[in-house]
Amino acid sequence: MLTRADLAKYPFLNEASDYIKELGISIDDIASPDFSPVLERAEKRLEEALSKGRVSNEFGNENAEILSFPVSNLILSLTGEERAQRRFALAEAKRAYELLRQESPEKLDYIARTTFGWKLNKIDAQPGKRFYDFGISLADYLRNSVHLKDPKWKLPNRILDHGLVYATREELARLLEEEVRTKIVDRSSRLSGEIPKPLLPKVERTRGLITKWLGVPSHYELPKVPSPEAMPPCVRHLIDNLAEGKNVQHMGRFTLASFLVNIGAGEEDIVKAFKPASDFSERMTRYQVEHIAGKRGGRTKYTCPMCTTLKTHGVCYKPDDICSTIRNPLSYYKSKARILTGKGPKREPS
Amino acid sequence: MNQAEQVIRQKFQQYYLDPKRQLDPPLNPSEREYGFLLFSGKFMVRHRSFKDPLSLLTAVRDLVPSHVYFSTAYYREPTAPMEEKGWTGADLVFDIDADHLNTPCKPDHDSWKCKACGTTGNGGAPKLCPKCKNDRLEEQTWLCDRCLQEAKEETAKLLEMLYTDLGIDNEATRLFFSGHRGYHVHVYSKQTSQLGEEERREIADYLLAQGLDPQLHELEETSVGGTKLAEGPLIGQPGWRGRIVAGIYDILGSEMDQIGLTSTQVHALKSWDREDLLRKPFWNSAKGVGISTWKTLVTKAVEKKSAKIDTVVTTDIHRLIRMSGTLNGHTGLLAMKVPEERLDEFDPFTEPLAFQGQMKVKVKESPGFRLGEERFGPYHDETVQLPSTAAMLLLCKHRAEPIA
Repeated sequence: MLTRADLAKYPFLNEASDYIKELGISIDDIASPDFSPVLERAEKRLEEALSKGRVSNEFGNENAEILSFPVSNLILSLTGEERAQRRFALAEAKRAYELLRQESPEKLDYIARTTFGWKLNKIDAQPGKRFYDFGISLADYLRNSVHLKDPKWKLPNRILDHGLVYATREELARLLEEEVRTKIVDRSSRLSGEIPKPLLPKVERTRGLITKWLGVPSHYELPKVPSPEAMPPCVRHLIDNLAEGKNVQHMGRFTLASFLVNIGAGEEDIVKAFKPASDFSERMTRYQVEHIAGKRGGRTKYTCPMCTTLKTHGVCYKPDDICSTIRNPLSYYKSKARILTGKGPKREPS
Repeated sequence: MNQAEQVIRQKFQQYYLDPKRQLDPPLNPSEREYGFLLFSGKFMVRHRSFKDPLSLLTAVRDLVPSHVYFSTAYYREPTAPMEEKGWTGADLVFDIDADHLNTPCKPDHDSWKCKACGTTGNGGAPKLCPKCKNDRLEEQTWLCDRCLQEAKEETAKLLEMLYTDLGIDNEATRLFFSGHRGYHVHVYSKQTSQLGEEERREIADYLLAQGLDPQLHELEETSVGGTKLAEGPLIGQPGWRGRIVAGIYDILGSEMDQIGLTSTQVHALKSWDREDLLRKPFWNSAKGVGISTWKTLVTKAVEKKSAKIDTVVTTDIHRLIRMSGTLNGHTGLLAMKVPEERLDEFDPFTEPLAFQGQMKVKVKESPGFRLGEERFGPYHDETVQLPSTAAMLLLCKHRAEPIA
């Protein structure tokens, strides 16, 4: 079904890994001069991913194309930089998407089944104006669609027929992009250990690239001093409501407390925010805030609920422009703080 | 424990001690966590697990809980603290409860009281006290034929969507009466057991049609030679598309007042042949009925056809849920399995009755009700001799006190 040219396009496929295994290459071969095209291409992949968030295609040397992918991944894993790994995974996944969307339904079907274990049917249905090639099993659809923000991916806006979600070729390719991204992230997080000698300079160079393009990690952290101006509309609304003595439901309270805990507000300040509530109990509030902060009970520090959850529970309030770019109130806070202070690197292109 | 609770507990104990008694434990019983709410001090015993149905029954006989629950989740170590249990999956569960339905009979049998300022009212409790804006409201609910009938209809809609839309095998589902005001549906399948919270939220949103955008189902206005024409989905199309059309068809065949349309629009729609909806995807071009009117109708259709599930239950992958074959401490009725093909004929006021004999109670206030063939009440400050099931219902619902 797949040719070597396909493996060059999609080096994350199981068949590509098998192909490399068959070549019987070891880590020491990397140092050999025969291998230099592979190393060059691997570094280019990384540089492009880090600088532009894109990886271009180079199909001239198919073997180099296939082999360079795991090498890039290995180098990146050895840097131990998770945000760079995520960025690389996204860039590679986007590259794959651009190619996948041009493939025949048969090839898409094959890749979805074999590498990602999907259950799907070729349906050729046209219930209305659009033509759908595929019915994707509900679980496979949901696992990937929950990451996508456009309302067209929401399940109530899909055609769902006996456990199959109808999808066009283009949509299937987009869902596979998510699958590719997840697979690359999983794969790189599994690799680690000592850095093989031949790769040492590459790893060092890549660390430099990461700092150059993504900045020093601490710039990405939340501002040290909680900045009220950077809070999202939902959180401000919660605070205002409490301040006016209006009632705030459980979900709203949890959102506020977990948000404040995560942006590093002090316990006293958090308790203070709840003080105007008509049913305020200092003892209870303190207990719950400590619980959310992970100082009690399960010792898990709770993170702030996702925007989708807040929408379901009616906590989302007057979303603004920044809201449309984020999925969690904490990301809003990061973005806005960055804009307000004018510090830190620019937003990652997404 | 107050006197009423003592009497209830005693009756529960008698019930569970019956040598013929069997519980109806869930599938894969040893991978679940069990929880018991006790009468004494409303204390919850959690993180228990049982190897077999007999040891579970022994524990129930021993503890005599007011409510018996098990986790919808499967764990490697069900007795470990929450974060160490090792979640391996969870049944997909749905809860339909009259609490979430807007039945017109609620003002007749439900009431609420604000704990802060003492304001009272009839019907389901509002979210906030209208007077002092507090949310600590105490509710007194009742279970009536009408509410349970509506819950049953919602359940039927839910099952229909689970089978035809989600493609869930009816061998993989079980339906239960909760012993109070609603029904539970459990889905046991490999495919759904691995779904995370976000995925389950999508399913809940689907069943409620939450966030449904008519345009994404191809409702749009086109212009043919200067005439505006509304185009929409067609009956028989899968999923929400066909259901939207069926819903609109129903609405057009009934009273259209009170759905937010002007009388001109209602008139125009009434004079239009709704059978057209069943023939072609081109909806009418009647005067005054534009795309926005159709959108209103879609909203209404979706409201009518959606299944009013409790989203919190479906999205919680660590939920404890009531076990069938046990008594519900809110009513003294049995939570029990209902074969799906019998949902229609199932009588929640006859089949889940658990107690024999007679009891004397002093009733404070109670609406009229039916159990089996017999009608009772309404009662107001009176002492009555009743069949035990009726007396227990009044005691459990805090409507009566026992007579020593």
